Amino acid sequence: MTIMETRKHGDASDGMIGGRQTRFEGQLKVTGAATYALEYPVEGLAHAVLVQSTIPAGQVVSIDTSKALEAPGVLLVLTPEDDLGLTTASDWHGNRPENQPYHPLPREVRFNGESIATVIAETREQAVEAAKLLDIVYAEAPSVASLDDPNAGEGKAVDMLNVAWGDAEAALAAAPVMIEAEYSTPREYHVAMEPHGLTVKWDGDQLTVWEPSQWSHGMARSYAEWFAIPYENVRLISPFIGGGFGSKGAALAYSAVAAFAARKLGRPVKLAVTRPQNFTSYGGRAATRQTIRLGATEDGVLQAIVHRGASETSTYADWPEQTGAATSILYKVENFSSQHRIVPVNTVTPGALRGPGKNPSAYGIECAMDELAWKLGMDPLDLRLKNYADRDYQSGKPWSTRRLREALMEGAEAFGWSKRSHQPRSMREGRTLIGWGIGCGTFPVIQAPSEAMIRILGNGRVEVVSGAIDMGQGTYTILAQTAADVFGVPVSQVDVKLGDSRLPGSAIAGGSMLAGSILGAVHKAATAARDELIGLALSDANSPLRDTGANTLTFGDGRISVSRGEGPSLTLPELMAALGRDELEIRRNTLPDGATAQEHHQAWTTMAKVRGPTMGDYSMHSWCAHFAEVRVDEDFGTVRVSRMVSAFDCGRLYNPRLVESQWRGGIIMGIGQALLEEGLVDQRNGRMMNSNVGDYLVPTNSDIPDIQVISVGVPDFNASALGGKGVGEVGIVGVAPAIANAVFHATGKRVRDLPITLEKLI
Amino acid sequence: MTRTIHLSLDINGRRHELDVEPRVTLLDALREELALTGTKKGCDQGQCGACTCHVDGKRVLSCLTLAAQVEGRQITTIEGIAAENGDLHPVQAAFIENDAFQCGYCTPGQIMSAVACIREGHAGSDEEIREYMSGNLCRCGAYNSIVAAVREAAEAVR
Repeated sequence: MTIMETRKHGDASDGMIGGRQTRFEGQLKVTGAATYALEYPVEGLAHAVLVQSTIPAGQVVSIDTSKALEAPGVLLVLTPEDDLGLTTASDWHGNRPENQPYHPLPREVRFNGESIATVIAETREQAVEAAKLLDIVYAEAPSVASLDDPNAGEGKAVDMLNVAWGDAEAALAAAPVMIEAEYSTPREYHVAMEPHGLTVKWDGDQLTVWEPSQWSHGMARSYAEWFAIPYENVRLISPFIGGGFGSKGAALAYSAVAAFAARKLGRPVKLAVTRPQNFTSYGGRAATRQTIRLGATEDGVLQAIVHRGASETSTYADWPEQTGAATSILYKVENFSSQHRIVPVNTVTPGALRGPGKNPSAYGIECAMDELAWKLGMDPLDLRLKNYADRDYQSGKPWSTRRLREALMEGAEAFGWSKRSHQPRSMREGRTLIGWGIGCGTFPVIQAPSEAMIRILGNGRVEVVSGAIDMGQGTYTILAQTAADVFGVPVSQVDVKLGDSRLPGSAIAGGSMLAGSILGAVHKAATAARDELIGLALSDANSPLRDTGANTLTFGDGRISVSRGEGPSLTLPELMAALGRDELEIRRNTLPDGATAQEHHQAWTTMAKVRGPTMGDYSMHSWCAHFAEVRVDEDFGTVRVSRMVSAFDCGRLYNPRLVESQWRGGIIMGIGQALLEEGLVDQRNGRMMNSNVGDYLVPTNSDIPDIQVISVGVPDFNASALGGKGVGEVGIVGVAPAIANAVFHATGKRVRDLPITLEKLI
Repeated sequence: MTRTIHLSLDINGRRHELDVEPRVTLLDALREELALTGTKKGCDQGQCGACTCHVDGKRVLSCLTLAAQVEGRQITTIEGIAAENGDLHPVQAAFIENDAFQCGYCTPGQIMSAVACIREGHAGSDEEIREYMSGNLCRCGAYNSIVAAVREAAEAVR
């Protein structure tokens, strides 16, 4: 088996694929010169503020705007009275209802905190002040506050999520050892540091949108469809985005409102969604609950898994947070059954948040495995290794690569797991209880077609051009490294242009699908450009390389030369000059040959061409094993994570430095999920009670210990053209159960509802 | 309220004249009036630290500071800490080298806090750095690298 070569930082190979190149756009970010969506100097801006509903359900009977309109600086007030004349856009898959009107400021209120009006003024301060003067009359209707509301009911089954093989109930009944437990997770939120918002400007029927986006092409499509203008008329610009984590992949109601206001006023509009408004302008991770029953032999061989899950959704759209998504593929089991229900409540529709589905799912199964290990008197590490899945039992397909065993073994070694005293409450320092726990994680390899352009300029600079997004994962850097590698030039000779819907289409920066997808396109385009250069260099009458008799050329150390090392060697600008070329431009995509223009458009602007992890011959996933140490104050129940070691199989790493950062980021979000994060809902009126970052707690620097991350992956060329699997999502998956299991080990108390706060331990 | 007031603000060693409403925060004055957008708005309510600037060398949250409060004071923003010739401040260089950011949105605030943290003498240990950098949230989770960058820059300054 090929072990990925590790490269030491600090030499020329940093700039190649797999090197530890520092962040390509780093200088811009540390000097404040990176420009985010609300920072573009657009002349003549008007400022819009949103007004959100204060009831959970019912009708907006009337909004008296007279006082607001009289307030200084106010230009326009939009309410449900205004017909914006918009049409409903397609969903992510490209399905679109015919001629359905779209009301982004609806008369019917469906959740507390829904946008129902907008005030636009000369300054933001004036708009904020005037917004307070709206006199809103509601007719409130009965509502369901949350999953915990007694009136929430059982919801509805999601049949497509039913998974079963063998006879789980019978095998469970026959199993000598059985455990059953219910686990729950609260609403959780993205809390990207850059709040949502946009600047929008019309020039005739041409629309320019500066908006943080995980998917420039997909979001541009929504605007085109809302306003019934050609797709080509929309330009969405998003070269820098202040975090997304799943929240910035779709244009939202306020986006439509801002664009409408700009058209109506005939001047550009900036709309900043306030931090509190961010909590209800789009959905976070749905609250979940799941019951897991495991049956095993006395020596710890799993006989059956029965899983029943449920998650919150809204009253107007079905969003399943798939609590069974990881349950089915982590372990070898011959009898399996999983079902999932969604329970409509009066909330904004939940959405994708880092590790959607897999995250709460792994929380359930990984806690349950720990409970089973305890019941069996087994080391939880041994139980996991004993039930190691030799193939994907759900699809029946072999794994492409699965080095979860190596992750468990190497993680355990680095953590010192063998020193664990397995009895709960058996490790302590004075009044501090110490606990160690394991949690495994996984995330599927998702593939999407992408397109990229390579431009070689007369001065020797290499441009990589793509509509792909860098929200901090490192797209700029790894695209530059790929081009540098192909052309044998330093990264400093490469320019990368990203984040613009006018540029070649790309997979979404989400679902951990971007790097593998876009690098395939960039590598293909760069290789084609290199081949074209070679062809020209060997055939052009003016090329000094023509008469060498060589049939190919080598690119390396900034020079193009004959492979056997004889004859002339030229730099890129020298070769371009000899060829008399100012520019060489090549565009390639990873769609099948002969794809139509419509298929191109569909590929970049919908999810229709996305391929799941088992659509080919293999089952393809990233894997990880987390080892957590917690320290629990015996008197106060406060939990601190004091140490973490996490080992990952994400295939080949295109840039280990940046990958390690992303892994740690996921782990830290997982620590927040385990110990801090919880959207609190007022059960009387469905209102978010902690919609700010002082009350919805995310980890601070002092909450986080040193986190050791280890790569155990090998290149997986089924997963992607260059051998990588997804990196961004998997880091969080399995962290919360590792911590929950460590808390049990420390205290002997099993907390089954996140977050694990001190009152649950005393 | 339509009344505007005239302010002279000393920012990064330069005098800026502006007419704003009295209720305009330093953060909005920087971002909306003066095109100094390096200072970020993450919450606008003093909870996230993204808007951290220096006033007379001390770190302040510019979202909780009125522009009118800082007339006659020396304001420093992220745009003002590199050397005249463009050389990065040691903290900026250490942030790049240690990969102490991902999306970059909290980064200016982190760096302004880090510069002050070192100057305050609160970078003596990793534990102390963590504590004195905890007013600046980073949702991408670059905390380990931020601690490493502050430690490295503090050693360079010593």
